[in-house]
Amino acid sequence: MLILAKAALGLGATMAMGGLYVFHEGVIRVDVDEHRSGGSHVHFWVPATIVATGMHFMPKDRLNHATQEMRPFLPALREIAKELEKYPNVELVDVADARDHVRVAMVDGKLRIDAVSGDGDVVHVSVPARVLRDVADELEEKAPGV
Amino acid sequence: MKTSRGFLVLSFTFVLAAATLLASAAIAQDTTTSSSGKSEQWIHVRVESKEDRGETVRVNVPVEMAAKVIPAINKNNLHDGKVRIDSMHTGDVDLRVILDAVRSSRDGEYVTVQNRENDVRVAKSAGYLYIHVTDKSEGKKEAAKDEKTGSKAGAGHGSKVDIKVPMKVVDALFSAGKDELDIVAALKALSGHGDTELVTVKDSENTVRIWVDSKNVAD
Repeated sequence: MLILAKAALGLGATMAMGGLYVFHEGVIRVDVDEHRSGGSHVHFWVPATIVATGMHFMPKDRLNHATQEMRPFLPALREIAKELEKYPNVELVDVADARDHVRVAMVDGKLRIDAVSGDGDVVHVSVPARVLRDVADELEEKAPGV
Repeated sequence: MKTSRGFLVLSFTFVLAAATLLASAAIAQDTTTSSSGKSEQWIHVRVESKEDRGETVRVNVPVEMAAKVIPAINKNNLHDGKVRIDSMHTGDVDLRVILDAVRSSRDGEYVTVQNRENDVRVAKSAGYLYIHVTDKSEGKKEAAKDEKTGSKAGAGHGSKVDIKVPMKVVDALFSAGKDELDIVAALKALSGHGDTELVTVKDSENTVRIWVDSKNVAD
């Protein structure tokens, strides 16, 4: 009985710590709703850690290709991500007219992009700023000389 | 039993330590934010269109952020935070020499041009360089168009540009080598300055306003 209790406690603690680690960088959230017949509805939440970790397991040729494409923008991306972390709650860009509305803001340390069109299409993307920096760092590591 | 209690105490201590670490990290982040937010200067851009769809664009960027990001962009004429301008010496007019002359001169109105098409005024006063341009030609064209269509919206036509830049910023802007504008130096000079209304452009269709203040939201 005692052994079982210890095992359960150990498993629980491991799971709690694992969960803490997986979610310590936050969650990437994507919501897409097309309010028309046959329109798509995509909703997913992904732990941000998966992105940085996943890049280690990405096929090298694909990563090299992405790195080549991104090379000119990596220093700027890294600086932007690093700076964004200093401003957890600010509105950066807001474009609105009678039909459409696009907003880019930092909300609770996450870069949040909201786009609502007059047709009823809605896109919400939320990415922790730290993930952007991790991705830029990772790509930069794979692209020496940037 | 003793072993199990010891294990529980160890686990509890571990969880407590993790929670304390997380909390202190969060507090540290808050402190950094509030301390950096005190003297932070923001560049605001607001564009309002008076056309049918009534588009509004609002951009808020921390000056410090812009000063750090711009040097990381190396494309076309922008390199290391400096913009290379090929036309600094346009024809017989050397912009740098003119600015040197303005900088070293006393406050006053340096250029006043008034004709049918435009009113232009360049002045220096209390450490600021002022440029006012009123384009009357556009107003006349619009008024003529309105007359033809019978519209009465002609009042207030013509575009008006008001620029007010601290001389320190102008100095910093031209502090780079020949034929170069040092954007980063200008931004740093701007961040050391107080709240400033930099550019206002008004015409029949759009209003553009660029200003610097310590608020992180536009008016």
